[in-house]
Amino acid sequence: MIIACVAVVGQKNNPLYLQSFTSIGDDLKHHHIVHCSLDVIDERVNTPKKSGSRLNESFLGLLYPTETYKVYGYLTNTKVKFILVTTTSTGMDPESRNFFGKLHAAYADAVSNPFHVQGKKLITKKFAKRVEAIVKSFSD
Amino acid sequence: MEPDVSMETCRIIRIAVLPTGGEIPADILRHYISMLSQFNTVDLSSISSFYVEHQKSPFAHQPWDSGSLLFKFVIGGESASAWEDFQSNRKILAVVGICHCPSCPDLGEVANDFAKECTDYKSSLVHRCFAFSPSDAQLEAGGNKENDLVLFPPSDRRSQELHMQTMLQDLAASLLMEFEKYVLRAESVGTILKTPLDSQAGFGSEEMIKAKKKRLGRAQKTIGDYCLLAASPLDANAHYTTGIELARLTGDVFWHAGALEGSACALLIDREDNRDPVIEEEVKYRYYNVIQLYRRSSVSDSAQRASTVRFELEAALKLARYLCRHELAKEVVELLMGAADCAKSLIDANDRLILFIEVARLFGTLGYQRKAAFFSRQVAQLYLQQDNTCASISAMKVLSMTAKAYHIESKGSSYKSSACSNESGSSHAEGGKLHPSSIVSLYESQWSTLQMVVLREILLSSVRAGDPLAAWSAAARLLRSYYPLITPVGQSGLASSLSNSAERLPSGIRCADSALPFIRLHSFPVHPSQADIIKRNPNNEGWWMGSAPSGPFIYTPFSKGSPNDSTKHEITWIVGEPIDVLVELANPCGFDLIVDSIYLSVQSGNFDPFPVSVNLPPNSAKVISLSGVPTKVGPVIIPGCTVHCFGVITEHLFKEVDNILHGAAQGLVLSDPFRCCGSGKLKTVSVPNISVVPPLPLLVSHVVGGDGAAVLYEGEIHNIRISIGNAGSVPVEQAHISLSGKNQDSVLSIADEALMSALPLKPGAQVTLPVTLKAWKLSLVDVDPNSGKNAFTSSARMSKDGSSPLLVFHYAGPSTYIASTEISGSSSSIPPGRRLIVPLHVCVQQGLRFVKARLLSMDIPARISENLPAPNKILEGSSNKEIPTTPTHQTDNSLMKIDPYKGSWGLRLLELELSNPTDVAFEVNVYVHLDKPKKPCNTVDTDEDLCCSRTRIDRDYSSRVLIPLEHFKLPVIDDSFFSKDHKVAGDDGSSILKQSKAELTASINNLISKIKVRWQSGRNSSGELNIKDAFQSALQSSVMDILLPDPLTFGFRLKSRVEEESSSKARLTKGAVFAHEMTGMEALIRNNTREMITMTLSITCRDIAGDNCIEGKKSTVLWSGVLSGVAIEVPPLQEITHSFSLYFLVPGEYTLLGAAVIDNATDILRARAHTISPDEPIFCRGSPFGVQVLGTA
Repeated sequence: MIIACVAVVGQKNNPLYLQSFTSIGDDLKHHHIVHCSLDVIDERVNTPKKSGSRLNESFLGLLYPTETYKVYGYLTNTKVKFILVTTTSTGMDPESRNFFGKLHAAYADAVSNPFHVQGKKLITKKFAKRVEAIVKSFSD
Repeated sequence: MEPDVSMETCRIIRIAVLPTGGEIPADILRHYISMLSQFNTVDLSSISSFYVEHQKSPFAHQPWDSGSLLFKFVIGGESASAWEDFQSNRKILAVVGICHCPSCPDLGEVANDFAKECTDYKSSLVHRCFAFSPSDAQLEAGGNKENDLVLFPPSDRRSQELHMQTMLQDLAASLLMEFEKYVLRAESVGTILKTPLDSQAGFGSEEMIKAKKKRLGRAQKTIGDYCLLAASPLDANAHYTTGIELARLTGDVFWHAGALEGSACALLIDREDNRDPVIEEEVKYRYYNVIQLYRRSSVSDSAQRASTVRFELEAALKLARYLCRHELAKEVVELLMGAADCAKSLIDANDRLILFIEVARLFGTLGYQRKAAFFSRQVAQLYLQQDNTCASISAMKVLSMTAKAYHIESKGSSYKSSACSNESGSSHAEGGKLHPSSIVSLYESQWSTLQMVVLREILLSSVRAGDPLAAWSAAARLLRSYYPLITPVGQSGLASSLSNSAERLPSGIRCADSALPFIRLHSFPVHPSQADIIKRNPNNEGWWMGSAPSGPFIYTPFSKGSPNDSTKHEITWIVGEPIDVLVELANPCGFDLIVDSIYLSVQSGNFDPFPVSVNLPPNSAKVISLSGVPTKVGPVIIPGCTVHCFGVITEHLFKEVDNILHGAAQGLVLSDPFRCCGSGKLKTVSVPNISVVPPLPLLVSHVVGGDGAAVLYEGEIHNIRISIGNAGSVPVEQAHISLSGKNQDSVLSIADEALMSALPLKPGAQVTLPVTLKAWKLSLVDVDPNSGKNAFTSSARMSKDGSSPLLVFHYAGPSTYIASTEISGSSSSIPPGRRLIVPLHVCVQQGLRFVKARLLSMDIPARISENLPAPNKILEGSSNKEIPTTPTHQTDNSLMKIDPYKGSWGLRLLELELSNPTDVAFEVNVYVHLDKPKKPCNTVDTDEDLCCSRTRIDRDYSSRVLIPLEHFKLPVIDDSFFSKDHKVAGDDGSSILKQSKAELTASINNLISKIKVRWQSGRNSSGELNIKDAFQSALQSSVMDILLPDPLTFGFRLKSRVEEESSSKARLTKGAVFAHEMTGMEALIRNNTREMITMTLSITCRDIAGDNCIEGKKSTVLWSGVLSGVAIEVPPLQEITHSFSLYFLVPGEYTLLGAAVIDNATDILRARAHTISPDEPIFCRGSPFGVQVLGTA
């Protein structure tokens, strides 16, 4: 799995963390992709009934299929969204599910920092390093 | 590609609309076209009257009762498409000319022109020219012309529309007949149908049968198309099915796809208003096939990909539009994203533009605003690539539509939308609280990377489009929201683009989006005249009561609610009196910001603001004062400031900045503009409720002779004159003066009648009010040990302490009732009163310093004589009492004058030691107030104050002043003095004393109040020493001795000699005693109590050495009579005499002393004698009497 971008988006759809892992210059594109994928997440957040059996499922699956990018989403109980942009074309559901689990743990640790203010951007180096490590472990 | 494609597109008949015959004014043309375009649907049933069946119709299953023809009016026409053989709906099938007769007199020419124009549309089957508003002449002439010129005689719109409808029905019928003709011809003869795909290959090289079949298939497909256009889906379906079969057989993939697409459309039209899931599945299935086929058709030849892909995309868009529902969102998204991905393979930029527009529209329909915005941005970028103004305008418009999704929309547009949804415009009501949507926008504003990009594009496009206001607005939004992310150079660039835009704008133009500076409310400085507005209660005359803090505390917890409750904060402004509001401006950018003018924007319209101009250096904040004058009664609402900056007038709302600051505190906004300018954090100030009241009187005061502090010595009495003037425009009708602050008792008198008599005080009138002050005593804390020398510094310090008393004037104008319509709060229908506080500035300097007070007792022995030294004046008072023999001077005013020959029994004086640390001399007078109630008035001088001689105390000197206390002695010991204690503490005298402390203090205070020590210094200063405490401590222990006489007083006198005396002796015997001579004497014992006293009297005589000379071995005095152990009873308030004789052996000075032991003493006596135990004998002793014994010659 080639991970292009990882983003954490807050409850109010505010970006908390957005990091590109591909060549420089794609940042804006990734911003757009993450921003656009919020449409789908919003829809799923606002109409939970539709999910039916997947009501309590955090993993939102493929959000945004394009030719070059696949966007996966994950929604925590506190309505924080994790968004993963990959450039792999094949379906990677189980792997991305696994990835989100690890990202969720990292996020939970990061916001447990007593100095973190709810709703503020995650700018700690520790979190950034940890996400980088997770991304590296998946990019093989 | 074509815009706005849908399933229906296949059945829409295109009609070119061409303005003919000279210029038509734009608005008239628009009017004609709007009339035309509302008839885009013509029911088959309505055209049957125009329909003439020339031959048997090929449309066997035409639904005459339910079907309808659809028109699409192509204004201005379009060039023929290369693909019109493939999709017949692309053909222009009819041409409608529009002619405005007044601009073309010759209708024949028009008809010719139109016929010429029609030749460009080879595919067109029917031509009509509609000529509007013909003149009468033209009407007449028009009848002769050919059929395709239709005259619309001038009439009202409704009948014209009816006319137009009829004409269109006729057109539809003609078209239908033309379609029939075409179909019949195509079925029988067959046509050559080509697409650009076929151009190279051609049919020639292929084998004949296959080519023929292919041609047949294509013909069937085209016939199907015409069937669809003729609104006959069943016929269409039949032809399509044949076409599909043939195309499949011949491998004509492209036409296969086209036929399939047509069949899907026919299926839908057949079941028009029935969203059957089965049909939907079928349509979906067919369309996916269509897309597949289109794709396949190009796979074989990749060179053709570019041209066929548009059909593929159109099919995808058609399906997406068909499916565009919430439930199917995922499918639609996939279709749309797939389509968007294909954009790269589109060569024509226009196609790409159309694709993105359609994708964005569909996403928008689906509710995916962000995706719609993304594609709109792509559209705008495509527009921007075209280098012309129209494209730029389009780009600008498209981008401003995306602004909402990116939360960067212009306030102007958002206001418009909110005004539409909420017409009442409750913009005032939401003041203070953060609007929920504004919070969300704060959060969303964190997509700054995207937002800046979009804003920059808006700026760029509006500059190119030549819309300076939009450019200004975009630059303002960019600068205001994202200044922390823009380099100083970029900030300056934005500033210059603001200025450049403003240059092209008319002056005085307003923009909804504010640029810089950031403005927040700093405070409402309360003018003293505003602070002191007090509500008047019409029912309560003393409305001023309780309005001023009466206690020593500035703040009382009961007077107001909690201080944090700022919402309750209310401010009253007065019509015509200018007010100030402090606002803080911040310029966080790296350039000099020149605010041309800034003033408070008041929506309520009853306020006249004064604009000011400000210059803000880079990265700076400034607090400025904005002022204005309220003009009308009512509430004032100040939502913000109006700013004229960068050539445009904008409205800056305090609420928005509060939101920004709130967001900055939570880390949601990039930066706090005030903090990055170095301004401190400020508590959010909410705009208080401001109400304007009608004009009130306004008193101003000044002290006559200067407002500076009066420097006074302690205890100095000083007169101040305060001048009070009415500076308002309303007379003062009520006034009340009270005191407040510290040292209130230092104000001796206020001549408030001077003010009261001047009421009503007209505007401009003045009145002078004298006030008498007595400088208070400095407390010990205030006095530095060495402050005496540098009095000035200490006094300067004093004046700041606020220890001066305050004069509080409550005043009000006429209490006329205001009509309740003018003031919303009906509770206060009476104009409020006001308060003026005049501090009486007094600097108290240390004056005469009291060092200590001492009680002095003096026993001055009296000389024995024939009479008692002080003549016992028998007072013929009503009580018929005798006054004890006191050696003080009843006749003399001077208390200090003591005649040594008259003697004194225990004269008591209070000695005051005073020092003068100042640098002026003081003269001290002691005044004793003599109004003893028990003393009959005829004995006392009419002036009650006795003045002792003056004592002058020079600077740096100390002096002692004596105050005689003997005046205060009561004549009689009785139980009235102890009356209370007597009952309480029966026999124990000491306990009586303890318990009579309060009584004592009272009597001391009474005593002190009668003594006044006044001083005078220089010509003007005079005052009184406050020595109460000193007196009290000095007198505490011995007040009883001062106030009460001894129970017994003893006096001695010489018995008048009975024998004859020589003239020489007579001279000598006057007050003289001779040795060796029996001298008769009398002891007078007076009972000062109201009880009989039984006692044992003894009399002793002492010589000058103090030895007893009556008893003992060396007694030098012989006596006759009883001198010791004389038992006597003295009746109350009476005196008895006891006679005895002495014989002095040696001449010299002797002293006679009377003493007595009182038997069975009463409690009063015991108390007076300070006895400890009840058994203790009470011993009384008289004052000594001097006897000078002269020697005999």
